[in-house]
Parts: sequence; structure tokens; C-alpha cells
Amino acid sequence: MPRLLGLSALAAACLIMTSVFAADGATVGPHGEKPTPAASITLTDAEIAQIKDGKHSAALVWHEMSEYTAAVDRGAKDEFAALGIEVVAQTDAGFDAARQQADVETVLAKKPTIILSLPVDPATAAAVYDSARKADVKLAFVDNSPAGYEHGKDYVTIVSDDLFQMGSKAADAMAAALGKKGKLGYIFHDADFYVTNQRDQAFKKTIEQDYPDMSIVAEAGMADPARAEEIAQGLLTQNPDLDGIYVTWAEPALSLLSSLKAAGNTKTKIVTLDLNEPAALDMVKGGNFAAIVADEAYNIGRTAARAAAASLIGKEAAPFLVVNSLAVTKDSVLDGWEASLNKDAPESIVEALK
Amino acid sequence: MQTSSSEPVLVLKDIRKSFGAVTAIENFSLDIRPGEIVALVGDNGAGKSTLIKIISGVYAPSSGSITIEGETVSMASASMARAHGIEVVYQDLALADQQPVYMNMFLGREPVNRFGLLDRRTMIAETEKLVKELDVRIPSAHATIRDLSGGQRQGVAIARATRWASKLILLDEPTAALGVAETAKVEAIVQSLKSRNIGVLIISHSLDQVFKLSDRICVLRRGKQIGLRNTAETNKNEIVSMITGLN
Amino acid sequence: MSQPKQAATPLSTPMERPSLLKRINLQQYVVYLGFLAIFLFFAIVLRDSGFLTVRNLSNIVLQTAPATIMAIGLVFVLSAGEIDLSIGSIVAVSALAAAVTINAYGMVAGIAVGLGAGLAIGLVNGVLVAYVRLPSFLVTLATMGLFAGVARSLTDLRSIPVTDSTFTGFFGSGALLGIPSLVWWTVIAILIGHIVYRETRFGAHVLATGDNNRAASVSGISVPRIRLAVMMLSGGLAALAGLLYAGRLQAAKYTLGETDLMTVIAAVIVGGTLLNGGKGSVVGALVGSLMMGMLNNGLILMGLSVSDQMIVRGLIILAAVAVSLREKAR
Repeated sequence: MPRLLGLSALAAACLIMTSVFAADGATVGPHGEKPTPAASITLTDAEIAQIKDGKHSAALVWHEMSEYTAAVDRGAKDEFAALGIEVVAQTDAGFDAARQQADVETVLAKKPTIILSLPVDPATAAAVYDSARKADVKLAFVDNSPAGYEHGKDYVTIVSDDLFQMGSKAADAMAAALGKKGKLGYIFHDADFYVTNQRDQAFKKTIEQDYPDMSIVAEAGMADPARAEEIAQGLLTQNPDLDGIYVTWAEPALSLLSSLKAAGNTKTKIVTLDLNEPAALDMVKGGNFAAIVADEAYNIGRTAARAAAASLIGKEAAPFLVVNSLAVTKDSVLDGWEASLNKDAPESIVEALK
Repeated sequence: MQTSSSEPVLVLKDIRKSFGAVTAIENFSLDIRPGEIVALVGDNGAGKSTLIKIISGVYAPSSGSITIEGETVSMASASMARAHGIEVVYQDLALADQQPVYMNMFLGREPVNRFGLLDRRTMIAETEKLVKELDVRIPSAHATIRDLSGGQRQGVAIARATRWASKLILLDEPTAALGVAETAKVEAIVQSLKSRNIGVLIISHSLDQVFKLSDRICVLRRGKQIGLRNTAETNKNEIVSMITGLN
Repeated sequence: MSQPKQAATPLSTPMERPSLLKRINLQQYVVYLGFLAIFLFFAIVLRDSGFLTVRNLSNIVLQTAPATIMAIGLVFVLSAGEIDLSIGSIVAVSALAAAVTINAYGMVAGIAVGLGAGLAIGLVNGVLVAYVRLPSFLVTLATMGLFAGVARSLTDLRSIPVTDSTFTGFFGSGALLGIPSLVWWTVIAILIGHIVYRETRFGAHVLATGDNNRAASVSGISVPRIRLAVMMLSGGLAALAGLLYAGRLQAAKYTLGETDLMTVIAAVIVGGTLLNGGKGSVVGALVGSLMMGMLNNGLILMGLSVSDQMIVRGLIILAAVAVSLREKAR
């Protein structure tokens, strides 16, 4: 959820783009860029040596610390360490664009050659990064870039999730859990949010195109996560016989879980997005959760760091790099945790698996 | 009694005050002359506080008249009483603890210079002059009230009333919270007010104090005015029996 | 001022004027000493990290300008014995209202609407506090949430770019005589704030009201009017801070000011203003605000992780507040 709140800031910037996403069958960058796999950014040993010789430094200017940011941050730090680049500062703007502007100005005192950042508010971020741009710092962005900035000239690249792939993998996971047939409920995020809209629509589209024996029979839009429980309750009351329900992200999915438990329903499967400990625990214990689709947040950090470093030796990155996502099920939860967040699964889950 | 040539600063005539069905004060009449100290005594609940509030403009009397230097007035607020030259020294002082003495002296009535800025120089000079005249011993006009003793604070409060009262000062239990030495000091200050040609009405529980300070004693019991005596012509026994109603 | 000389009488011990050392109340200077100590610490530890560069030091001043302006308002509010928790929301509402109006009707209208919005919210707070007699903590806690909601709904969470270059120059990125406009705003606001606070009857009445509202009241000060005035002043200054944010960021957003409340309160308290009224300092609030900014700046430049920055900042603020408040407990 913190992740989504952060990206909610993108909503304004992406109003125009939303229709573009909907029409397409693939993730499109915030400025209409075609996605390029993150793996396309590679460095040879000679290049790595060259970067190391440059004695570069980097600053990490986050929008807000969360599990997601922490994973991206870890990835970036590991990659920078491997490339001999010192991380000289880390900041947290607490979702405040004015503070992010101050943070950028502040870290410049340490004269970093690279700034990695997730803009709080891309629509108005031009002024936020202006001082860095003027100082010729290499800017690499996560998830979005300031409006009006030019790829290759003002910034190196944007690294993000493959959002369409996430929604699509959620559909595949649902199909796998239900034997490719059944009646589905669909709880989507009813707001103009770039990230959730793309993921939700990808789920729906994949079900409709690839699984003729599955159908979405009940839809419910959720505008306010705080009301998730009421919405889940309403959906279940009207449709007690659903085989599976998709929920836009993990925390409202937990509200659905409690409604199902209250109704004594152990049959209806839930598929959702973003790793979350209570949801994963329910899944491991054979509860309603069938799968959780996760992004490779750690890999976003690594990729952004590598792309920024590559630009120091004149290697250009594609404008919009996307990392893979994975559907985590009971059997793959330990590996999935490692792949997504680059850390061990929580104790409770390891215990439950024994 | 004072010389009859001086007109009373305050004349209360047939003052009655009731709150709904309850009569707090009935048929109260009193005149106070300049340079005279009148003590108001009575048991708790006798109506002394109500009377003070009427004179200081907090309550309007239900009937009766208030005359200040020959002019009948109706006072709707404390600031109107102040405008008529009546100042009150409250039991709980009404000083701003964290402000310096001179700011308290001019609280709400601060002089300003032609730029509209506080005229500290005047305030400090006047404060120092006044505390010296009244022999209120404070470290300086800059001292913070919080740092003063109870007696010093009461001295400041009386000095403030003196600064602004042109007719009458009401003292409500001025020494109730003070020790022996400080009480004596405050009594000396009150005594010195006589020379300023203003009237003083003092409420006190201490008959020793009343006999030491006052020219006349007015006794209240259950809202009724029991009697008015020249201090020199009465004694404690008489006053006590008037207060209690027992012989 | 000279102490009136008089002979001692047995009735009362004459008091000596306190020694110079005692009169220089340490508490009053804690903020300056603390500021100096933190400055020296960073200057030594970060001597190779650009802390002492003119650019970095001026950044600190520019970044803290809106918080400093808000802090001035809060000095008046706290001194009057009230509190205003809604300043962060006022910043957002005013900035957004100004931005929308500037884009539609031009700069002058935008400034008027922005400041007007702040004053209006201050009026609402003030009337509820002064005349309905509700505690300011609860009133502004409620209006903080209320107007945070208004800020969100005003533009449907969208950010509003401000492109009027006169406005952004005047309030944000411009300079006059080589001095950035934000510095001008800070200096002018502090100067006026200080004079009004220390040298006018209004300032004296604010202090008296916060110190002992009954004493103020029986002295003829209209306590409700003072309460209303400080809440409006706080609203107006928060609105000005909103304009400064909008000018600097060249955009307005509902999140502006949201995180400032605690910083501003800390700056004001560390600056020697009592939380429950009667005493304060506008200049102290400026130094407190700069100290907060310097702390943010220095801890980032030390390369601490975000969590460590928060912990260290919290500890330092705790220490500073403890020292500046300890004395009054005697």
C-alpha cells in the first residue's frame, strides 16, 4: 500500500496516458515509451573497470521510505558497491515535493555524479531536479520522470515494473488455481492511478482473451482502501458462489480475506499483487490466497544504478526499462521473496512451511 | 470622621442586588470620602464580594444608585468603573506572572510613542517612581513578577491600582495569602494611600488589620447592612457580635 | 534603569539586583548556543563534504524560509496560550487556491485569493476559539483534517503548475540586489514580526493574554479579540508560506506543508517560546527554524541512512527542547 500511495502522485501526470495503456496489450512508459527489458543493460568487465576508475559517487533521493523503496534502495546500493561507486547520501521526502526539492539541493553539496530518484510528483518535478540538471548530474529515475525532461539529455532512463505483465501473471495464476474455469470477482482500484489501472486492466484483458471458460461475473471498484472491507462484503453477499476473486493489491485483499473467513468460506481463491506477510502466511497455510504477484523491486534498483553508471562512460540506456514480475505461490514463496525483495521470507512464513 | 468639606468620592444609596429569587444585597448605603479607609467586614457569604463587584462595574445593582463625586453613574463593565477612577486589587492579584513589573503596571493601558511603539522608557520611569513612593521593595522595574515574593506582588498590584485610581481603590483581602512580615509591609503601603486623597474600601477577615487601618467599619450580614461604626468609637467585641448576630 | 535606593527596614529584606550572570538567563540563549554547537559540529565533521560552501548554507536559509514564516505566526499563537495545528493544511489550501487563481486571473488575484484563504481559515479557527470558547488544540486538530481534505478535493489531487514568472520570481526563485527573494521575505517577516511582538501594545496584550487571561481581561484587554487576531495572523502567515512554496516549486500540491507542523513547533519551542503562553521570541524562532534546516542538511550530508537521520534528529530536538523548557519547571 505505501507503494501505491507513492505512485498515486503519478495520477495527475498520467491522466492523458491512461487511455493509451488501456488500448495496448503491453506496458507503456509514462511518456509513451516502449518497454525494454531491464536485462538489456549490461556492462563488460572492461567497462566496469572504467567506471571504477572514475571514482564516482551517487545519492539516493527517495519519495518515501517503504518496503518497496527499501528493496529498490538495497538493489541500487548493491549495484553501486559492485561498480565502486560510493553512495554519499540518502533522503526521504515524505511525499512532499517541496522537501524533495530541498533534498536534491542538499545532496548536491556532496557533488555526486549520479542521483537516483523516484519523483514525488512528476507533473511538477521539473523545478525539483532543476539544480541537479544544471549541475550536470546523471539522473536516473524509478517509475516516472519529470514532465518536460528529455531522455538522453536530461535523464538517463526510467526503470519500472512491467505493469501489464503483473496483471497478466495474476490472471494466469488465477487460471492455474481454478483449472482454467470458473466465475470470478474483480475488485479494482477505482481511481486514476497509473500503476493500479494498468495492472487491473491487464488482469481483465488476459482473462477475457486467454481463458474462455473463465468469466468475470462481479466487479467492484474501490476508491478508498479504508472501505475495502465493506466493498468485499457487498461483493460476497451478492455473489456467494464465486470461484476466485482478484484484488488490486494485497492490503484490501486482506479485508476480503476477513470477510470470507467471517462467512466460513474456504473455497473461494484470492489472487492479488505485491508481497505482504499476512497474505503470504494465509497462502502458505492453505487458506484462500492462491497466488501473489510480485515485482522485482530489488532489480529495479540494480537496473537503475547500472544504467546510470553506464551513462558515465557514454553508454546510453533505453528510455523505459522494465523488470520482470513473478507469481508467488505456496511452493515458490521463499524464492519469490528473495527474487522480489532480495531478502529472506519473514520468520512466520518459514515456520509455517515446516 | 473626615472633614465635611470634602465631598464623598463614592456614594452608594439603597443598593439592592438579587439573583433571581435570591437577594444578595439589600438596602446598602455607604459613602466614602477622599483620604478615608473604610473596612467592609462580614462572614463568608455575607455579600462582600457581590458588593465589590457592583462597585467595580462587574454587576449592575438591581436597584439603588451609585454616585461618584456627585455624579450618578451606571456602570455596565469593569472598564467603565476604571474610567470613573475606580481600581480593584483582587485577592488573586491579576498579574501576568511572566511579564516584568513595569508591563504589569501598565497592563492594558500601555503608553506608546508617536510611531505607535511601546514607550518603555516612560513605563519604567513611572514604575520606579511609584514603587519608590509607596516603598514597594522590588529589585527593579524589570523584575519578572514570577520572581517576586507574595508581598512584593501585592505591593505591585496596589501600586498599579494607585497609578490609575483617581477616586477609589477596592482592596479584596489584600493580605490573605501573606506571611506576618509581608502583611505588615502591605499594611504600611495601604496606610500610605491615605495621603493620596483617594478613598479606600478594604475587605478583610482580620479584625486586627481592620482596626489598624480603617477609619470606619461597615458590617454586612446575610446581605443586610448591620451597621457602620467609626473605628475609634467601637471595639472588637461590638464588631464581632455585629458580624455573628450573637450578643 | 536604576534601582531605587532605600534603607532596609525590619519588615522586609531589600532585594539586591541579581548578579549579571544570573540575569543573563541561560535558557534565553540556549537556542543560539545550540545553533552554534550544531553548526560547529557539522563544520568540522563535514568540512570536506560541502557543508560550509556558500551554496549549501544559502540553501539552508532558502529551504527553511516557509517554515520560518509559519513559525512567526506560531510564536504569537503559543504566546497567547493557544495552538494552531492547522498551519500545514492552510499552506496547501492557500498554495492551491493561489495557483488556480493565478492561472485563471493572474498574479495579483492569485496572491489575494491565496492570502485570503489563509486569513479565512484563521478566522474560522479564531471565532471557534475566541467566541465559541472551544480549545484551540481541538479546533485546529479538526480544521487541520478538514482543510487537508479541502486541499485534496480542491483540485482532485492534481498538482497545479504555476508558470507566471513574475510570481515565481517574486515568491520563489527570484532575487533583488543579488539577494534571493526568499531571504528578503524571511528578513522582512522576522523584522516586522519581532517589532510587533516586542514593541507594540498588540504584542504586549498577546503575552498578557497567554500569561494570565483573567489579568488581561480585568485590565481591559479584549481577550477574545486577541485570540481571534493571533489565529488569523497564523493563518495569514501560513498562507504566505504557501505562496513561497508555490513560487519555489513552480507548482502547488495538496502535500505542501503537510510535514511542516512538527518542524515548526519544534523550531518555535527550541527558540524559547513557551508551549503554554506568556513568553516567546520571534528571533529565537528564526534561529530554531534555521537549526532544524541545518540539522536536516547536515545529517543528509553525513551520509546517514534515512532511518538514522530521523533517530538522530529526534534525539537532538529532544535534547534542545529539554534544555529550553527545563528552567520554567522550577
